[in-house]
Amino acid sequence: MAEQSLSPESVKALQEKISQMSPEELKEFQKKQCVFCQIVAGKIQSRKMYEDDKVVALLDINPANPGHTLLLTKEHYSILPQIPDEEVGHVFMVVKALSNCMLRSVDAQGTNVIVANGIAAGQRAQHFMAHIIPRKPNDGVNFVLPQKSMEDKDIEAIGNKLIGAITGDYKDETKNEPKELGAKVNLDDISRILGAR
Amino acid sequence: MADKARESCIVCQIIGSNVPSKKVYEDELVLAVLDVNGANPGHCFVMPKNHYPIIEQVPDAEIGRLFQVSNKISSAIFEALGAQGTNIFVANGIPAGQTVAHFTINVIPRKENDGINLQWQPKQLSEEEISTVELKLKEQTKNIGHFEAEEKKPRMQAPKQISISKEEDEYFEKQLRRVP
Repeated sequence: MAEQSLSPESVKALQEKISQMSPEELKEFQKKQCVFCQIVAGKIQSRKMYEDDKVVALLDINPANPGHTLLLTKEHYSILPQIPDEEVGHVFMVVKALSNCMLRSVDAQGTNVIVANGIAAGQRAQHFMAHIIPRKPNDGVNFVLPQKSMEDKDIEAIGNKLIGAITGDYKDETKNEPKELGAKVNLDDISRILGAR
Repeated sequence: MADKARESCIVCQIIGSNVPSKKVYEDELVLAVLDVNGANPGHCFVMPKNHYPIIEQVPDAEIGRLFQVSNKISSAIFEALGAQGTNIFVANGIPAGQTVAHFTINVIPRKENDGINLQWQPKQLSEEEISTVELKLKEQTKNIGHFEAEEKKPRMQAPKQISISKEEDEYFEKQLRRVP
């Protein structure tokens, strides 16, 4: 999370600079700006719970409950859609293992797994992470998922739009690189995080 | 017993097409459907076709596949529905808000001020409490290591017949009732 306050001119200059970067330059730039890349590199202290060649798990310093753990990719990805399939698989196998560990150690009677892609989804840092939160009854954590009913015609329309996008995606089996859309969300996030805070 | 659990499992009924649903993705292991009472329009459930009540029971290879599919759906939500964000949300166990005894991943489209709250009030812990938790958890996490790798690529296919074991159901029953 960047806490700098920048003048409107420097925000604009920065946005200009970012928009002209190649994808490689952009990634390098993000990495330098990213607190979590510093943590992964061991430049900022953290309480590591697990580490392998692809991921690092650490205790959240602002936990929803004691034992709340963050799982980060070592590689800098801003959001889940940028992560190659193989790595996605690995990330969530580790998530499962961590959830298991919580049920066995910190009196958890359940766990929540949360990933936020984009600021509107509650993402605060520009580095992909999965939250694994140990739960017990009446622990003061209250996630709200309202129920909104849909009309039949919307169910069909929205369902078919999704099917179109999903099958389009699967047609090209070799497509494994970061997506166009990821890069867009990214750029927007950076300028908003740097600009708005 | 096991069959009874499957019969009473609404998700297994959806997978078996005994209950109507709007399917958005299907392969031999995974089914994804639209939640018609979702938190936002486009909210999807991603579920293993085999009956596993909680995440601990889902084999690693299926975990990989389930979340890869969730990720594809998350991308599709950005692309096709123009969402400003997405959440991947799992409730594992009743205290975590799980309501159906069949492992389910929620993929939720997000926009500003949509009434969804997946935030928390951070708990202030003493240095001692943090160290205790760290030690306890590390005692377990040091055993993390072997994952069953997934070889096959997903492919679209008709639903297959599924079977579940008695132990799995008993495990969840224990979870629910906290029987030691």
